[in-house]
Parts: sequence; structure tokens; C-alpha cells
Amino acid sequence: MTRPPKRTIAPIFWLLFGAGGMLSALFGTGLVIVTGFLLPASPPSYQAAAAILHNPLAGLVALATIPLFFWHGAERLFLTLKDMRAGPRPLLALISYGAAAVGTLVTILLIFLMEFGS
Amino acid sequence: MSERRPYVRRQSRLWWASRTYRGYTLRELSGVGVAVYGAVLLAGLDSVRRGPDAYAAFVGWLSTPVAIVLHLVLLAAMLLHGLTWFQTLPKTMPRLIVGGQAVPQKTITNAAIGLAMLCSLALVIGALS
Repeated sequence: MTRPPKRTIAPIFWLLFGAGGMLSALFGTGLVIVTGFLLPASPPSYQAAAAILHNPLAGLVALATIPLFFWHGAERLFLTLKDMRAGPRPLLALISYGAAAVGTLVTILLIFLMEFGS
Repeated sequence: MSERRPYVRRQSRLWWASRTYRGYTLRELSGVGVAVYGAVLLAGLDSVRRGPDAYAAFVGWLSTPVAIVLHLVLLAAMLLHGLTWFQTLPKTMPRLIVGGQAVPQKTITNAAIGLAMLCSLALVIGALS
């Protein structure tokens, strides 16, 4: 008799890892050039920056992008620390996935405040 | 009592820092760089939410040597991440058959890197215009 394989929630983390990895592989280089080098070279006025970010579409893009970047890094960090035998597995998962979860909640809260706040 | 005494090869605790595994370690760290950049984006977004003074402070910070070095490192991480990501891509997807022939892995990698260059270039051109 063959038992069905034990179910795990690992695919959820892999999905987030893959989505964040693909998004950053496609757009990451351009994003860093824009926000890290072009923006300080000729910064847009506050009104212009606020107008862009208060657009709900920009809020949605940021809401997708930033947490996915966090989850991508978290998965990489977790698997690498595990391979490095840096500590017990639950602790490593707590550190990496925990940081991504907190980052995601903060992102959701800040974007909510920006789009719907005073 | 079991007689089994399997041979377990010794491994240095710092195996990941050795030359053999340098590529692996840098690739994995590039993924952590992606998350660090996510935090930079979030800080910038929050500065706009907090008002003109916070926004000016964030833009001012971007011009400091620390921020410039950080962004150079993040740029290198993004480039390494993109390159290794698309090198992995053809190994993680089903074989692509075109005209009865399997598309070589290198072709898929190159096509995806070309697409990524277009995507990033579109962002830069959009920001400049």
C-alpha cells in the first residue's frame, strides 16, 4: 500500500519565491537604476512624486512588488542558512519567513494609509 | 545494537566561503539583495506618505556615499540575480518543442535575458521621459 505523500506548505513559499524572482529578474536592474541613480540626480518635486504614488494603480504595483521581493529574499536566506547549518531549522524559518511576513504587513499598512489616509 | 557505521565525509563549517561554492553563495546572496532593495523602495514610498520634509530627507540620503555604494552593490546583485535566474529557467520548465525540435537551453536563457533588458530599459526610458 502506498501512502499519499505528506502535505506541506512549502509550495506556497516556492510560489512567492518564484514570483518575486521573476519580477526582480525582469525589472530589478531598471528599478535600481531609476530609484538609486536617476532619482537623486534629478529628483521630481514632492507634488509630482505624491501624484504618482497616490494613484491606486501605483499602490497596487507597489503592493505586489515590495512583498514579493521580501519573500524572494526570505526563501533564499532560509535555504542558504539551512545549507550553512547556521541553526535549528524552525529558528531559521522564523527569522527569514518572519521578517518577510512583518515586511509584508508593514507594506500593506503603509500603502493603505497612503491611498486612503488623510 | 547496529553494526552500521556509515562514513560521513567531513565538511568545513565555512564550506560556503570556499572557492568551489563561491558562485552558489553569491547567487543566494543576490536574492537577499532583492529583499534589501524592497526595503529601500518601502522607505521611499513611506517618505512620500509622510510629507515633503521626509521626501526631501529620503532624496538627500540617496545622494550620500553610503546610499550610492549600497545601490551599486544592489545593481550588481540584480544583474547577477537576473543572469542566474534565467540560466535556471530552462532547467525548471517543461522542454519547449518547436517544429519537432527541443529548443536549446541557451536559446531560452538568451531570449529571457533579452526580454529582461527590454523591461528594464522601458523603465529607464519611462523615467527619463
